[in-house]
Amino acid sequence: MNEFVRGGLYGGGIIVGIMSSLLFVLWAERKMAARMQSRIGPNIIDPTGFLQAMSDVLKLLQKEDIIPEKADRALFNLAPVFGAAAALAVAAVVPFSASIVGADLDVGVLYLLAVGAVSVLPVFAAGWGSNNKFALLGAMRAIAQSVSYEVPLVLAALVPVMLAGSMKVSDIVAWQASHHWLVVWPFFLGVPAFVLFMLAMLAESNRIPFDIPEAESELVAGITTEYSGMKFGLFYMTEYLHTVIASAVAASLFLGGFDGPGGPGIWWMVIKTFVLVVAIYWLRWSLLRFRSDQLMALCWRWLVPSGVVLVVATALWVVFAA
Amino acid sequence: MAVKEQRTIDTGTGFRHPLYQVMLETPGLTVGTAVLDDLLSWGLTNSMWIFPMATSCCGIELMATAASRVDIDRMGVIVRATPRQADVMVVAGTITTKMAPRVLKLWEQMPEPKWCIAMGSCAISGDFYRNLYSVVPGIDTFLPVDVYVPGCPPNPEALMHGMLRLQEKVKRQKQGETVTPEPNPDLLKITRPSVPRLNDPTRSTIQTIEQERASTNPTADEACAPLVVAATEPPPNLAPLTAADFEGLLKELGVTTLPPDGPPIIPAAQHLELARRLKGLGYHLLVTIVASHWPAGKGRKGADAAEVEHYEVAYALRTVGQGSRVATWAVKVPVAEPVLTLSGVFAGADWQEREQYDLVGVKFAGHPDLRRLMLTENASIHPLRREFPADAAAAPWR
Repeated sequence: MNEFVRGGLYGGGIIVGIMSSLLFVLWAERKMAARMQSRIGPNIIDPTGFLQAMSDVLKLLQKEDIIPEKADRALFNLAPVFGAAAALAVAAVVPFSASIVGADLDVGVLYLLAVGAVSVLPVFAAGWGSNNKFALLGAMRAIAQSVSYEVPLVLAALVPVMLAGSMKVSDIVAWQASHHWLVVWPFFLGVPAFVLFMLAMLAESNRIPFDIPEAESELVAGITTEYSGMKFGLFYMTEYLHTVIASAVAASLFLGGFDGPGGPGIWWMVIKTFVLVVAIYWLRWSLLRFRSDQLMALCWRWLVPSGVVLVVATALWVVFAA
Repeated sequence: MAVKEQRTIDTGTGFRHPLYQVMLETPGLTVGTAVLDDLLSWGLTNSMWIFPMATSCCGIELMATAASRVDIDRMGVIVRATPRQADVMVVAGTITTKMAPRVLKLWEQMPEPKWCIAMGSCAISGDFYRNLYSVVPGIDTFLPVDVYVPGCPPNPEALMHGMLRLQEKVKRQKQGETVTPEPNPDLLKITRPSVPRLNDPTRSTIQTIEQERASTNPTADEACAPLVVAATEPPPNLAPLTAADFEGLLKELGVTTLPPDGPPIIPAAQHLELARRLKGLGYHLLVTIVASHWPAGKGRKGADAAEVEHYEVAYALRTVGQGSRVATWAVKVPVAEPVLTLSGVFAGADWQEREQYDLVGVKFAGHPDLRRLMLTENASIHPLRREFPADAAAAPWR
């Protein structure tokens, strides 16, 4: 089969799969949040509250679409779409099983870091295009945060690349299948790199405890302050897309991807991704928000130096021990 | 107030979409539109996001409604901080005339379809602040309220019940139950913001603060710009004060015995000089400035035919630190005359004098920015004057 047709078919399938998984993720997060706060969560719409996300979407579709008079209309309207597109584009190089992968690029890790970095542009476009001071402040914070956390993210992603000797994500998964999962051996490299990667990914996708771009107590709703209806819905969705896809990437790079006991398969990828998603929401509802300067201090004083040390240690390990 | 009678029933059909119109006009598709209607209102009713317009104690109950005991999230209600993403504005608390234009502005920023819940007796009618000069007697005077939740404050279960009533109302909305209010034209005057509305033809794209102040307003009988009262110099033949303590200074000013019924009254011309001198003696803290208004024939000692209509402005200073000493004095001026401002001596006098000008009407000569502080900038009343009606139901705008 033509490679482009194959990539298109698989890519479409992956997008549909991830989008439908969002329904479950939204439900799980809301119920989990409720449980962690001694509440019950949505249970009137149906006993489990599973239809709540659909009801929200139906409601958002019916709302009036407001564009502020002095907004930059092009930026304002395109930002939510590009935001969702940039989040989805990362999923292209993630192998969900030996065959289910959108485009298994030779420079897959480079691609996902690059596309992940692009996702800050829609955020800034939204903040700038809204012509709203709160949105602009949120966007400024998002830029500062994402640019800073790009560095530890790249350093952490270098560890599996150096160990596997390839930038192809499927090669990294195969290397882990033939050796060990990266968090199992060498764990003194794998575990810190995994933690570093998850922290940086959380900060990149602006989740609590790194959600200062949309800090509700200070900035109304941050970059989404002026967005109503389904445009806000897209931002809302993008946030969850980021979480799911970041978890899938981390699962591939550090947790052995689609490989697991009893043979490789897509179910391993699904299980690992959702475990990580749940862990992220666990963090989200347990922790408070960092202050902007604390966030920068954490990045530049702790994460970046430890990332450099990790990369050097990995290089020594590869040369002398492996 | 005949507000409720003026309300009209809206025959609005709610959802308008070209495709929906086609479905309505095509025979055989009415079942489809009915299903679609049900689906859409199912979506609307089960996902009502609140914009919390919480101004006072009802806001605490609103928070409790979202907390674990009642948990309004069970019916899909979450709280959004921005009006753009909210469906229901819950007005929880007393709305003052100064707050009302802001509430209205936030309401206008919410996207359609939107609903409003008046939570608590203050939002419903003003309650016991109803006849106060600064309180709006019920938010339905300027907002279309869909559900009233009575109580002072209503408990969380009551608000939950209100949300359920609102769901019922939304489900029946297509049967012509949308209520749009006709605002009371008299109340519109006090709730009108100083910025003209969008549909006002006199509004320009860029509105300067001067234009805002100069905008025509039916209630403004005074200019909204700062009242400029020229500074008057004290007569040159007065000798400078020299005494080294407050009692000595008072003696120099001709006060020998302290009156039993209030602070000693000193000549208005030397009042600024006294304040300067006291600051030099260590009285650095301006505690308060209180003005009172006395109608003709009344004074400190009760009925007194010799008294003209006058203001008495009392001042209190303190030294800072241990063994703090207090210096108080008062100035008595006829209503037509200004009082010398202390804002050049104590920076804190600026707002205190603005407050006294706002509420009592005393004019301070030489004040840099004598505008209203507490009431709306274009208000026409000085509510703490004696002739102001105690029951504001008789006030000019009711």
